[in-house]
Amino acid sequence: MRNNAFLHFLTLLLFKQKSKHIGAVLISVIIIFLLSAVLFLSSSLQYSLLSALQKQGDFVVTRIQAGKPANTPVAWVDQILGINGVTHVAPRIYGRYFFAPRENAFLVVGIDFFDEQNNQALQRLLKDVDLKRFFSKDSMLVGEGVRKFLEAHYFKNDFTFKTPKGTFKKVNIYQTLPKQANLIDNDMIIMPIELAREIFGLGEGEVTDITFNVPNDAEWDNIITKLHLLFYDVRVIEKREVKKAYENLYNYKGGLFLILYLVTIVTFMLILYQRYSMVYSTERKEIGILRAVGWSIKDILKLKFYENLVIVIISFIIGVVLAYLYVFVLNAPLLSHIFLGGSNLANHVTFVPVVKFGILGSIFLFYAVPFLAAVLIPAWKVAVTPPKEAML
Amino acid sequence: MFLNTNGYKGWIMVVLKNINKIYNEGTPQAFEALKSINLSVSHGETVVLSGVSGSGKSTLLSLIAALDKPSNGKIMVNGELISKLPDLHASTYRAKTIGVIFQHFNLLESLSVEENVIVPLINSGFDMQTIKVLADKSMELSAISHKASQEVKALSGGEKQRCAIARALIHEPELILCDEPTANLDRANSLKFIEILQSLHNMGKTVIVATHDPLFEGLSFVRKVVHMEDGTIVEAKDSE
Amino acid sequence: MNEILLNNEVIVYLLSETVLYLLLFVAFLVTVGLVKKWNFDAFTTEQFTLENRSYLVMTIIFFGIVLKIILLPYFVYTIDALSDLVPGAMCGAGVIKANAYGNPLLALKIVILFLSGLWLSINSIDLKAKRYPYLKLKSWFFLFIFVLLSAEFLLDILYFTHIETTNPVSCCSVIFGQTGGANSLPFGLDIPKLLMLFYLLFALIVLSLFSNLSLVSVASSILFVVVGYYAVVYFFGTYIYELPTHKCPFCMLQDHYHYVGYAVWGLLLLGTFFAIDYAVMNVFFHTVSQTLKRIAIVLLSMFVFLCSGYVAVYYFKNGVWL
Repeated sequence: MRNNAFLHFLTLLLFKQKSKHIGAVLISVIIIFLLSAVLFLSSSLQYSLLSALQKQGDFVVTRIQAGKPANTPVAWVDQILGINGVTHVAPRIYGRYFFAPRENAFLVVGIDFFDEQNNQALQRLLKDVDLKRFFSKDSMLVGEGVRKFLEAHYFKNDFTFKTPKGTFKKVNIYQTLPKQANLIDNDMIIMPIELAREIFGLGEGEVTDITFNVPNDAEWDNIITKLHLLFYDVRVIEKREVKKAYENLYNYKGGLFLILYLVTIVTFMLILYQRYSMVYSTERKEIGILRAVGWSIKDILKLKFYENLVIVIISFIIGVVLAYLYVFVLNAPLLSHIFLGGSNLANHVTFVPVVKFGILGSIFLFYAVPFLAAVLIPAWKVAVTPPKEAML
Repeated sequence: MFLNTNGYKGWIMVVLKNINKIYNEGTPQAFEALKSINLSVSHGETVVLSGVSGSGKSTLLSLIAALDKPSNGKIMVNGELISKLPDLHASTYRAKTIGVIFQHFNLLESLSVEENVIVPLINSGFDMQTIKVLADKSMELSAISHKASQEVKALSGGEKQRCAIARALIHEPELILCDEPTANLDRANSLKFIEILQSLHNMGKTVIVATHDPLFEGLSFVRKVVHMEDGTIVEAKDSE
Repeated sequence: MNEILLNNEVIVYLLSETVLYLLLFVAFLVTVGLVKKWNFDAFTTEQFTLENRSYLVMTIIFFGIVLKIILLPYFVYTIDALSDLVPGAMCGAGVIKANAYGNPLLALKIVILFLSGLWLSINSIDLKAKRYPYLKLKSWFFLFIFVLLSAEFLLDILYFTHIETTNPVSCCSVIFGQTGGANSLPFGLDIPKLLMLFYLLFALIVLSLFSNLSLVSVASSILFVVVGYYAVVYFFGTYIYELPTHKCPFCMLQDHYHYVGYAVWGLLLLGTFFAIDYAVMNVFFHTVSQTLKRIAIVLLSMFVFLCSGYVAVYYFKNGVWL
């Protein structure tokens, strides 16, 4: 490589004339940095959500009455178990508990601690719980956000729920949910199903929904048909539908940014066009000299093309590395609020580094194509400088 | 073909036939810089084009160097018709056959002497090692080796010119064109330039010098002095 | 707003295509001027300007083709990424079938790449000659390509604005599968005949390249693209997926199969392109490039070895054929 005369000369020129290019590199780095930060963030969130979702049950069924969700009878569990291919059927109480004084809501999930869980994350979690101690008094597991919130309101070791009957129920905080699942579990409270039933005021033998798995995904459509045959008033939520909804959501957020970016990119192109028209007009003499000593138009175009390619690649690498550090090391201060805004408890998410080749390719194209296109015409203009220029 | 080149190759280096050059043709500012020029230069000759500035010497030189194209007429150099060449061929011609020494030296100021000298060979396909060897040889010939790694900005006029000479010679061209080479030099440096010219002549190169410097009058190795006025050749006399 | 148009990859893809189309449009305008006024023997300033402008056209086309080469796999990648959004689609096969524009678009892209590759070859011999002998030819050729480019751009827009995210599409097992026992191979071929044709054509291309039977090379190369496509989808693909019923040209582009599809299709297209390019240059312009020939043979051999390799490896691992 070092032996190639053209590359030697190219690096020489770039190095000696770096002041010419610094402006373009700076703008490029900023643009790439913002762009990649947003895309890294959205793909990391998407990844965390999907991997959390992956661990949940394949189906959730609830009873529906007059188009409105109603309490589901536990008796359905046995009927669902009767369908071939269904495993891990678990009744669940699931709902938001509104904490009126601060206008905040917790997500309360009541499960049967003695059942085998179809949610793999819960399964793993419950393994570490000392059930004897847990059941010695009313206890619950809380998410990081809930714990912080309660602590701030002087509920250190327990919290008192208000039941629909008007009585109070004091529940002990047993432990905090592990941190890595924060995106979903932040405002979650997990407690035994009986306790949840009391807090939400559900009748005996009633739950909000039932979850189960169907390991063979080719059977999914059949299972749905069978469920509808079994119950006339059932609503079935598939995991794959939820997955698609999540994917769409983050696609949207990333996509909206890109649309905004289109405006920036067009401005960027105009600036580049202007800037390089100017830079190159100062180079006319130099190019004339090169042409006079035997460089062809093609050689000059090649030189300019490589010059710009080097600038593009250098700014790309710097921008992407900076964005990586910002998102995955510094946890994206400021930007993360835009993406996580709307959750009612303060959330502190650690982003899982996910950098897919496709994202890098997209960022590169999104920036490199307009860049190179914008300098192409100015570069041609200077490349056809008549060599006579050198005689003047 | 107006000339059987095969028979003359090696003998006649440059032939110009009925060359006209009109600037801004077809506009009110049209200006006829060259009028029906006919000239031939043999291989190994040193020719001086003399005349006041504006007489068309530089224009003629730029046409021979294929830096510009004539409005009509034919130019043949080393057996090749160069008056109407596509860019790729014109530049190959410039890169292989000729070396030009410009009045204002035309160096890339931000680069060092050596880096300037290698410029014509960057696209030659040679590797850097070969190019360095050629550059050393050329800089030695032009007596500038001692400043090889110095930036051109810091050089004196004479040194700049020797750098330009080294650049013009690196690819060992057959034909060397000099445009007012001593216009920006003091007397001592001008004499030194003439010395280098003499050694080029002794190496068997064909040299054409456009100048109005009286120093070039009566030089022993100059074979022909062509005097130009108002875009025409008024007198072409052989020194012998 | 259609949610497809908010997909990151689609935005990037359409932006790139638009920018490129604008540049190519400039090249088109310049070329029209060239065709009208070109006269190499003129010594006028206008002619010199035209000669300089021809370099602008060249630069734009060169930039365009390099980018189109990158954008073709990116397009396929985009299609593949969309399969998450389009209901029913498991891979690109369903998405490309989501409306009537998809398949023509993909075919047109490949044709354009082949033609512009040829253009570059003609351009390079034109530059090497002393009088730009092919300038008119290459200009008209580009004008023709530009018509195709415009159609491509139009199809690009029509295709992406007409993908429904509510109507489910078929997945590849339906499109390429033999449900109902129908033989979906063309010309009444069956698998053994198809494979025979595949290897014979490969041999024919190599032999005709070596013996400079250029017209034979062109014909066999074009046939090889078609036969190669069917052979991969209906035979070699099943070994890549290790599933006799899985017949799909798109699934192999997914990470589950280590993106091997990009290599398979890339080698097939590039290999046949260089073979055709070499042969066309040989017949019509009498220029022989040993490098082109070597590249063509190496790429095609790699393609055949890669495909056959999957079959061989499967057999060695499992001791049976699918």
